[in-house]
Formats: sequence, C-alpha cells, structure tokens
Amino acid sequence: MTTTLERNATAQIPKGGGLARRQNFGTAVVAGVVFAYLFWLIAHLTLDSTGRPFGDQVATFTGLGWLIGFWIGIGAFNGPFRWLLGRDHSHADDMYYAGQNMGKARYWKFTTDHKVVGVQYIVVTMVLFGVGGILAMAIRTNLIAPGNHFVNQQVYNSFIAIHGMVMILAMIVAVAGPWGNFVMPIMIGARDMAFPRLNALSLWTLVAAIGLLVTTLAVGGLPVGWVVMDPISNQAGIGMDFFALTIIAFTVSTTVAGVNTITTMMTMRTKGMTLERMPIFTWGVFMAAALGLYAFPYFLVAESFQILDRTSFTSFFVSTGGGTGWLQANLFWLMGHPEVYVILLPAVGALFEIAAVMSRKPVFSYRTAVGSMAGLAGLSALVWAHHMFTSGWAPTLGGPFMLTTEIISIPTGLFFLVLIGTLWRGHIWMKLPTIWLFGFMANFIIAGITGIYLSDIPLDDQLHGTMFVTAHFHYVFVGSVLFGAIAALAFWYPKVTGRYLNEYLGRISFWFVFVGVQVTFLAMFVSGLRGMPRRYASYSIIFEHTNFASTIGAYTIMIGMIILGVALVTSWNKGEPSGPNPWQANSLEWMVPTPPPLENFEVQPVITEDPYNFDKEMVRR
Amino acid sequence: MSDQDNKKPLKLFFWLWAIITVAGVAVSLWAPGYLMPRSMSNNMHLTILTMVVFSVAAAPVAAGVYAASIYMLRTWSYRGDDVPPPAPVIRENNKVVASWLLASTVLTVFLLIWGLGALAVDNSSTGKNPLVVDVTGQQWVWSFSYPGTHVESNQLYLPENREVEFRVTSDDVTHGFWIVNMGVQVDANPGTITTIHTTPNRLGEFTVRCEQFCGLNHSFMDTEGFVVSTQNFNSWLAAQPQRS
Ligand SMILES: [Cu+2]
Ligand SMILES: [Cu+2]
Repeated sequence: MTTTLERNATAQIPKGGGLARRQNFGTAVVAGVVFAYLFWLIAHLTLDSTGRPFGDQVATFTGLGWLIGFWIGIGAFNGPFRWLLGRDHSHADDMYYAGQNMGKARYWKFTTDHKVVGVQYIVVTMVLFGVGGILAMAIRTNLIAPGNHFVNQQVYNSFIAIHGMVMILAMIVAVAGPWGNFVMPIMIGARDMAFPRLNALSLWTLVAAIGLLVTTLAVGGLPVGWVVMDPISNQAGIGMDFFALTIIAFTVSTTVAGVNTITTMMTMRTKGMTLERMPIFTWGVFMAAALGLYAFPYFLVAESFQILDRTSFTSFFVSTGGGTGWLQANLFWLMGHPEVYVILLPAVGALFEIAAVMSRKPVFSYRTAVGSMAGLAGLSALVWAHHMFTSGWAPTLGGPFMLTTEIISIPTGLFFLVLIGTLWRGHIWMKLPTIWLFGFMANFIIAGITGIYLSDIPLDDQLHGTMFVTAHFHYVFVGSVLFGAIAALAFWYPKVTGRYLNEYLGRISFWFVFVGVQVTFLAMFVSGLRGMPRRYASYSIIFEHTNFASTIGAYTIMIGMIILGVALVTSWNKGEPSGPNPWQANSLEWMVPTPPPLENFEVQPVITEDPYNFDKEMVRR
Repeated sequence: MSDQDNKKPLKLFFWLWAIITVAGVAVSLWAPGYLMPRSMSNNMHLTILTMVVFSVAAAPVAAGVYAASIYMLRTWSYRGDDVPPPAPVIRENNKVVASWLLASTVLTVFLLIWGLGALAVDNSSTGKNPLVVDVTGQQWVWSFSYPGTHVESNQLYLPENREVEFRVTSDDVTHGFWIVNMGVQVDANPGTITTIHTTPNRLGEFTVRCEQFCGLNHSFMDTEGFVVSTQNFNSWLAAQPQRS
C-alpha cells in the first residue's frame, strides 16, 4: 500500500532536452547573480551618475536583474520560449517537469507536480521561520535589560523591519503554501492544479523575493520599520529599493497562486464534488486566495510608487511635491488588514477539518463555517483605516471604521461556535493536531478580545503605537496562526511522509511554545499598558521586569520550536509508519496511497456525500 | 442517557464558567487602574474607564471559551491509540446558532454604543478659550511653543483645568505625539498640522513620548512635562527666555 515514488524510481530519467534538463535552484542562483551583475553594469554605463537617485536607480536595476536571471535560470520561461519557437512541450517533457522518476532532485527544480510544490513550501516556510526567529531572538536579547546594546541601534532598527516582513511572508505561506498545494487538489478530486507551471512559477518567485529581502540586510538594511511609511522610508538606503522589489515579486507570486487556486477549485472538482461537499479546509484556502487577489495589488501599487518616488522624481508620497504619506499609509493598510485574514483563514479552515476528523463528528453547521469565513473576508476589506485612527487623517471616518471593525467580532465569534460545536459531545482523539487545536482556542480568544480594545478609538488613542499592539498581533500570529499551522502540519504530515510526526517531541514542543507565548506576550501587554512604545531599541527602567519576562518567554518559544524542528526532520525518514489513512478520515486525500502517485488517482473518484459521515463504513477505507 | 448520545451533565461546565468569569471580572476591575499610567486628564480617565468596561464585558466570553475547553478535555477526550468510535451526528442546531449570533450581536452593539459615545466625549471641546500649544517633532526632540508669547521650550508646561489645543507638525519625518498620562496621541506630519485637545486635571509630572517609528533615536524621543497651577504657569511663561 505504501509504495513510494522513490522506490519505483529505476533511474529512468527521460533523456534529451539539453540545457533545460539541467536547470535547478543552483543554476537559478548563478543566473540571478550574473544577471544582477549585468544589469548593474548596464545601469552604471548608461545612467547619469550625478545626483541622489543614481544609487537607487542602480539598485533597482540590479534587483530586477536578479529576479529576471533567477526566473530564466530556474527554467520559468522554458515553456513560453519553446512555444514561441513552435516546439511545444512533448509528453515526455511534461512528465519530466512533473518530476516523474526523478527522486529527490525534483525538489530543487521547477517541478509542476502540486505535491512537490507543497513540500517545497514546507521547506520555504521553515527557512522563513528560521530567519525570522533568529531575528526575533536578537531583538528580544537586545531588550532583555534597559540600555542593553546586544546589537547596534541602526542594525536593530533593520532587524525589526526584516523580522516583521519575513514573518509576515512565513505566516502567509505557512498553511496555504504546503497544504493548499499538497492536499487541496486531492481533496477536491483533481489530478493537479489547473495551471501546474504557474504553480511552480509562484513558488520560485517567492524564493527569488526572499533572496532579495534577506540581501537587504547586507546592503545597508531597512531601518524604517516593516510598514515603510513615508517620509521615513526616504531615509533608508538602497535596502529600501530591494524591499520594494521584494514586495512586487511577492505580489506576482501570490496573484499567480491565487488565480491558480481559484481556477482549480472552480473547474477541476471531480464528479459529485459539489460546493457543499467540499472538505471545509478547501473553503479556507479558497477565501484566502480570493482575498489575496483583492488585497496584495495595493501593496504592489504602493511599492511601485515608492520606487518611482525614489528613482524618477515622482512625488506620490512626497508632501513637498503635492503628494502625501497618508496615501502610502492608506494603500499599505488596504493590503495590510485583509492580509491578516489571508493568513488566518487557511489555518481556521484546517482547524475545522481537524476538529471534525479528530472528534469523529461532522463539522458543526457547515453553512455557518463557510458563511463566517466569507463574512470575515468581505468585512476585512472595509476596515483598513483603523490602523490610522491616530494619524490625523480623516477624523470624520473614525466612527464608521470603528463600526466595521467591531462588527468583525461577530464572524470571528462564529469560528468559536463551529469549533466548540464540532468538538462538543465528540470522541475527541487527543493526538498532536488536537492538542495544538486546543492551544489555538486558548490564544485566539485573547487575540480577539485585545483586538476589540484597539478598535475602540478612545482606547486606541492610548494604546496605538505601543507594545500592547505588538502583543495583540503576536497573539494572532504566533498564538493562533502558528498553532493552527502546526496542527495542520501534524495532521497532514503522515500523508506526505507516510510517517507520524513524533508525538512525544511534538507534545514537549507544545508545552514550551504554549507557556512561552503566554509569558512573552502577556508581559508585553503590560509593557504596553504601562506606556512602552513599539520598535524601541532601548527603554527606561520602569519597563524592566516585563521586558525581562518577555525575553525569557521568547527563549522558551525558541526551545519549543527547535524541538518541533527536530521532530519534523527526524520523523521524515525514521518516524513511526502511519499507513495511508492514520486518522481514518473520509476525504479523498486519505483514500489515495501515501505518498500519492503522480496525478493522484488511478480511477477518477465519484463523490456521493460529504466526508464527515464517520458513522458509516466508507467504501474504500 | 445512552452512550450513543455522549451527553454528560453540564454542572462542571457552569461552575468553571462562573469561577473564571468572577476571576476575570476581578482582574478587569483592578488591572487597568493599577497598570496604566497615572491619569492626568479627562481623556485618560475615559480611557481607563473604557478599559475596565470592555474587560468586564469580555470576561464572560473568554470564560466561556476556557470553560468549554477544559470541560471538553475532561469529559470527552479519548486517549487510545486506535481511532475512536463514531460520535453522534450533529450537523445543525439552528437554535444554538441563532442564540450565539444574537448574543454576540448584542455584545457588539453594546461595545459600539459605548465606543461611539466615548468617542464623542473624547473629541468634544469645551470651546472656551483653549490654550494653544504648537508642537513640533524633529529627529529626535520635541519642541513646544506658545503662540503669542515667543516662548519655546523642550519641556511641556500646562496649566491645570484649562483645555489645551495642540497643533502638531513635524520638521522631517512622521513622529507620534503622545502624552502618556493623558490618553491623547496624534501623528506629527511634515507640511500638515494635526490637532488634538485635552484638559489636564491633575497637578504633577507627566511623560511625552514618540509612538511612531522615526529613525535611529526613536527610543529616546521623550521628554517630561508638568501640569501646574495657572499662577505658576504664568510665572513660568514670564521667566522663559524670549525668542523673537
Ligand atoms: Cu487591521
Ligand atoms: Cu519616534
């Protein structure tokens, strides 16, 4: 039953195809660097080197060179290129790009198989959490005592910005990346995504963007906060240009992924897979994809304008030229608030799924579950200015935005109803996914309630810009989304590897992370209430104890995450074998062998009911 | 009850809920006043009061989630290594969904009414002869000037019980003007004037901080201020070096 592709691989890699068959991550990096150098050279030779924007112009061209070179080097343009030459891909080519019989090498390539892309996203997510986590530890170490200078102040200021952006990227892909790609198509009975090459393009564009973002630290950093507001962003060096290009590339990646996801779900569902029979997780992915399509282009526009302001003397955000930083702030938050729900919805969808399977009961009120996710997605587009209550921009709109923001607590409350309703009177199987699910509920209620405080303008007039806000959204991201992401990882890990994620290490990790989150961020709430602003590199003696507690808590989280990382890596080849359906679930991804073969299904499945009838003996169990 | 229904007595749940609610309310009544900075204005008074009211309102909700979690873990958790038997099929319960919606809507409406009312009070100006203070942020100091007096200072002196109107701007990047003890803040933007007002109602020292990230020394962009009696305020003004 558990035949693996690797074992089937009898080294029959199709021959021919020349250079294109040798492309991988390595050639992409080489080509990226070569093109960056070429673009740098051309910019130096052709642009006027007097005056301030020269450095920014060169940096922008260099960054563009990296992106284009990376795309060419990984093979993103091979298909269109050959199509233009009138030699479209043969079947052998398509099989090659799908990674057939290629073993581990396919994970380093422009591979179109959605399951390979899913695994690549797991790795990308881990790398992002690693980088962001190291920066977080540097930040917390710097804040362990008043007047501590573990890192230089300018570097510290870059660290908070890069930590913020890296972690936002990590959160955006943490659930939707691995599981939206690996299991979602199987769950709806599709053989792959609608546009497999676009799927690979979206993954590798993200990788290229991450390369740019991390390079930022080496070229003067980004000492302006991750929200890169104007006019402060003008005081950043060429790191800012790299940041803007990162965002542009990232928006290309999410847009391509969003279109692909939506098209797949609209057109590739198998026979009988009506909308009401779709596993609830796929709804979370769908909503997030749709919301991302709406939200991220604002960020693309904002960062394109910033690049133009910096290189070409436009003045979209420059007040002396007739622009305003408030425009940047609006565009940023038009993206920034919906983005939180792009991050949250796949995690919530996964938790609904886990609650049902692990308690052996149907999702409680499926319609409420879908409706609350849709309501949240819709409302999230109408609340962006709550981030600008104290900016002085349009005070008249304060009341209306307070109204829309507080209404969000109604669909959010329904999440709890669905989760509790699903678990209630169930036979709740206490395995790793379930444990992290309970952790999610405990943290998410704190995240939600503190969010209501901040939506209230008289309170926001005190708490805005303080550590209270930082603690609030860390309860959202670390306390809630990360817990959901780990629950999803523990739940679907056996489908990827054929082995359980180590239960014992997973439980130890849970307690470290759970306790660490409470210590770190409850203390941080108190820092904020006492009056400590965000993004402080140094603070007065009155914030001493709470900051010390937050730092110790952060180390505790780190220990927990390292243990989880160890479990993830060691269980991959050595974990306890799980069989194809360890949780005895009924959705389609559990009906196929582990790991699922290329194109997933031998026979196209036909669906007659939703996957939550645990009381019936399923045909293919 | 047959095992098929998997129903269990709810007494434990209600006890848990009641205990956590009581504890939550107690903390809500005590913590804001204890943890937040000393209140020195009408706005700060309202801020702390709102904090208390919202926390008290939130306590039973949070208690519900915690009590339900603990209760479910105690009552229905299944710790075997094999898959548990099927549980009762409960797909919909319109009464529960409707009451949940109703309760959360009522709570939200209450918070909204409180919030909008507090906002109106917060923004209201007495309109009687406010003291105007021009506030300018620049990397990384605050300066305060009093129109009509040629006085400019890096410390903020305010008279007691008289409304103050702050006209806030910046010389370089955006800063966040925040009087920590008075519950008011507004951004200082270059080329724009933003205003806030408040009425200091308690004598003593307070803190001004920058709450918008503004570059290298953002962490050090704070200064102290003093609320003094009207008489002392006037003599302070008179004693300042005049800038023409
Ligand atoms: Cu928001
Ligand atoms: Cu500042």
